[in-house]
Amino acid sequence: MSYWIAFPAIIAAPVLGGLLHGADRVIRARMQSRKGPPLLQPFLDLLKLLEKRQFIVHSYHALLALAHMIVLWVSIGMLFFNSDLLMVIYFHLLATLLLVVAGYSVRSVFSNMGATRELVASLTYEPVFVLCVIALFTQYGTFQPAGILTSANPPLYTLPFIFFALLIALPVKLKKSPFDISEAHQEIIGGVEIEFSGFYKGVLLVSKWLDYVYVYSFLYLFSGGQLGLALAIFVGVFVLLAAVDNATARVTYGEMNRITLPLVIILVVINYVVLSIQRVAI
Amino acid sequence: MSRHSVRSPWLLHFNAGSCNGCDVEILACLAPKYDIERFGIVNTGNPIQADILLITGPITKRARERVVELYVQMPEPKVVIAVGACACTGGVFRGMYNVENGVDSFIPVDVYIPGCSAHPEQIIDGVVKSLGILAGKNKEMEFPTQLRGPVTIDRGQVDRRGLAGSVASLEKGCTNRGTEN
Repeated sequence: MSYWIAFPAIIAAPVLGGLLHGADRVIRARMQSRKGPPLLQPFLDLLKLLEKRQFIVHSYHALLALAHMIVLWVSIGMLFFNSDLLMVIYFHLLATLLLVVAGYSVRSVFSNMGATRELVASLTYEPVFVLCVIALFTQYGTFQPAGILTSANPPLYTLPFIFFALLIALPVKLKKSPFDISEAHQEIIGGVEIEFSGFYKGVLLVSKWLDYVYVYSFLYLFSGGQLGLALAIFVGVFVLLAAVDNATARVTYGEMNRITLPLVIILVVINYVVLSIQRVAI
Repeated sequence: MSRHSVRSPWLLHFNAGSCNGCDVEILACLAPKYDIERFGIVNTGNPIQADILLITGPITKRARERVVELYVQMPEPKVVIAVGACACTGGVFRGMYNVENGVDSFIPVDVYIPGCSAHPEQIIDGVVKSLGILAGKNKEMEFPTQLRGPVTIDRGQVDRRGLAGSVASLEKGCTNRGTEN
């Protein structure tokens, strides 16, 4: 991506993410034959949170939420500025860890439990992202997005099983049913979010939007830069995630790892075997 | 003036000894048929992120500290809605030894929703009415009318350690409530 596109895209990332979040809430409501909130509801939530009186547990806790958002934003910036994909993933992991430290830094049982679950969730989705990037490297010989986006055949056709593996990891990353264990609103009241209020809860809301942008820009890599295919992937994944979120109940974290990890590893191995057979045949 | 709270009020629902009749009706409001999410309302379980406190039940003596605690933990601007006859006045339990005759004996109430149990339509009407009150409020601190101990302010917040006063001090301070004699 050229600098002149990347800069505005990075600035606009939270806005795009907020729109995605709003659209997600609307589409989930329509699936339940409800009217649902307005499309701009996440932004109204943010404005409301900014004008509430603030309760801060301790300054370090609040600072970690801010650091979480900034590091997340930096990782998206690196992705847009054609940086190494592995570096992007590790910066993203760093952001998650900052939130985990924030969760452990307060004496709230739910916050601590949410932090532990956040770690378990990252144990589930991070290997998938790393395996996905390694597969992209073996196929295209580069860790940079530009190399993948300019190639003739998009990764969706050459690495379909890796794409399915990523699809399984997405509900874990975006905290959606059945794998929303780290948020679990009825159970641990939002996990690490529980002790944040006012401005800092708004910061976490923006981080949630940035997570959407991160995930969907990762999916964009699979379109190989073809806009029609990218749009098809976006709409398909968006509707699929909303449908799965509506239709399933939450599993426990043990079950989550038992369900996802073997499935993901099998899919990745299948894809490697197919690729190597193709190479031998050629 | 709190302009944006009106478009995105988050609820906190607390059962202070209700028979669950009103609670079922509140949950019916959140379910697809009545769908109060169309007003941007979300049911949070967390007082420090909530704007509206919905209380059902006549406030039993076991629940009164929890009600005050939850109210104090909510950041301003905030409104309180008493849902159902019990929460408004004590209802059929009024004057009994184990209840406190309604929410307003402990915390200031902005909207009363009568009915046994309150209909979902009434609850939606009351919540929408409370949004008008919420719009007129600002970040100024609001206090419970009664705490177990004395109200003290510590670094801009209600010092909740005062809540842990003895029951005897509460009984002494509350002779103006209770049975009508």
